[in-house]
Amino acid sequence: MTDFLELVVGATASGCIYALAALSYLLITRPTGIINFAVGEWAMLGAFGGFVALSRFALPYALGMAVIVVAMFFVGWATERLAVRPLVERGAPALAPILALLGMLVVFRELVSLGFGADPQPVPPSFGFGRLEIGPLAGSHQSFFIIGVTLSVFAAAWYFFERTLAGRSFEAVALDRRAAALMGINLRRVMSLAFAASAAVAALAGVLVAPNVSAHYLMGLPLAIQGFTALVIGGVGRVEGALLGGLILAFAEQFTVRYAPVPPGLAMGVPLVLLIVFLLLRPTGLLRAREARA
Amino acid sequence: MKSLAGFVLAALVLSAVAFVLGSYQTDVYRKLLLWITLALSYNFLFGIAGQVAFSHFTFYGIGAYAILILLFQLGLPLPLAIAAGIALCVVLALVVAIPATRLEGFYLALATLALAQLFIVVLNEGGKWTGASGGLANYRLPDVFGVRVTGPWYTVVIVLLMLGTLATLWRLDRSWFGRACRAVRDDPQAAQAMGVDVARTRVIAYALTSAMAGVAGMVYAFVDNTVNPPIFGLENAFLLLFMVIVGGSGRHAGAIVGAVLLYLMPLVLSPLIGHHHALVFGVFMVVVVLFQPSGLIGLWDALARRRSAP
Repeated sequence: MTDFLELVVGATASGCIYALAALSYLLITRPTGIINFAVGEWAMLGAFGGFVALSRFALPYALGMAVIVVAMFFVGWATERLAVRPLVERGAPALAPILALLGMLVVFRELVSLGFGADPQPVPPSFGFGRLEIGPLAGSHQSFFIIGVTLSVFAAAWYFFERTLAGRSFEAVALDRRAAALMGINLRRVMSLAFAASAAVAALAGVLVAPNVSAHYLMGLPLAIQGFTALVIGGVGRVEGALLGGLILAFAEQFTVRYAPVPPGLAMGVPLVLLIVFLLLRPTGLLRAREARA
Repeated sequence: MKSLAGFVLAALVLSAVAFVLGSYQTDVYRKLLLWITLALSYNFLFGIAGQVAFSHFTFYGIGAYAILILLFQLGLPLPLAIAAGIALCVVLALVVAIPATRLEGFYLALATLALAQLFIVVLNEGGKWTGASGGLANYRLPDVFGVRVTGPWYTVVIVLLMLGTLATLWRLDRSWFGRACRAVRDDPQAAQAMGVDVARTRVIAYALTSAMAGVAGMVYAFVDNTVNPPIFGLENAFLLLFMVIVGGSGRHAGAIVGAVLLYLMPLVLSPLIGHHHALVFGVFMVVVVLFQPSGLIGLWDALARRRSAP
């Protein structure tokens, strides 16, 4: 039973990481319809930011994290300015920005491998490597920290989308770009903000997961795949969907590894099979977008 | 008739080249031809039929592993193994195509990306069938009726494969089917209204090009005489996409230019910048998408137009 509960905490923590990656996709996909495969590389940049700020300069954790998030906010903003906006304004086909971002993915990854080499770099956890027990639940400090941060991010995102005017304008753009523009919503600002926020969320996922896996220039793609699997499971329509999808994915993955009689290598295929099944059977995800309200 | 003569001439010239190359150059030449073959069929799938699929390189791998398993684990004779391998590629391509092509736009990209990753997982866990992470090695092409195709003659086989692929896709592009594919790419609803069976066109385009990639993979299996999972990873699937886009998607000549350029670039650049040629690929890709959406072949067209204009 303790073993089971420990697994639950671990799975919830990795589910939260996937959920953050999924949220990062969602922030861009929802208003713009663009799937940004570079989300994983943004997380990787965040992890290396963690290495530089927390390991090399040994900043206090909270300050380091704030610096990373702000820096990545600008990276996201710059990516949109550089690789997406010229295409959207020219009226290029919908595929073009996605391909440009795919190119940016390679650029980010190779720049990091150029700057930091191919070896994994350590990133410290928030509160050391200790264990924490809350009632019957036990896990590493980092696991509880990940869960806490993710829940706050999702609460903030939910509040933003549901309760603030700026958030409602995102929703309006998602429902009908043209109508939103006619109602005086600044589409450019929504796009900039979507990319910047997405990069900041992705970086957060990277910093949080880095103590467990180390910062490595190839860490992006697996995270990108897990993130969009979570997104597809939960549905692109609602913020809560990303969280739900991430948790379902992580539990399916870890319980298969632990309890199913298949070799651990094959269990790595679980998220991929889940992704294919969901795409074929339920491409809108578990949670549907709410209907437009008057 | 004129184009037939052109193909025969190209076959003679490209084959003749094979007989003057040293062993390292032969290796480069063979792989270059295979990349062109793959880029041509991927160009049909991505550029002409408009399907963003990341599974093309996976079918290349399926072909390579299939022929080896049929030959050496099931002990089939070569001609039979080739026939069975082709049949297997076609069947698998159809099995994937029928559900996958129902997916709209980016969902197809996601599903095929997952399929590509799943293939690597299966290869790594395939035990003695796929040789797990070490892959398959220590084999050679068996004899057919007492003759073993080696050295430059095997290169000739690859030349014929490449030209056969080009000829088939060329004919297809100019046929009713090619125009249907372009129509479906540009506007499925309009195509439907014009009497094109959208679903069937998509399935055939996907299955046909994927099976062609599988056949190219069968030929590849005896180029390095070893296959292992990393060869068929996502890196190469991305590279294939970059080749088609940089060259100019939707154009056969573009696919050839892109494949030649991006395949040879690392060989030229690695003395200068080591293993960071991928950075150059990425920059190339972004620049082309931003400033030259019709690819390098589009630059060529613009030049030709300017020369003929006055």
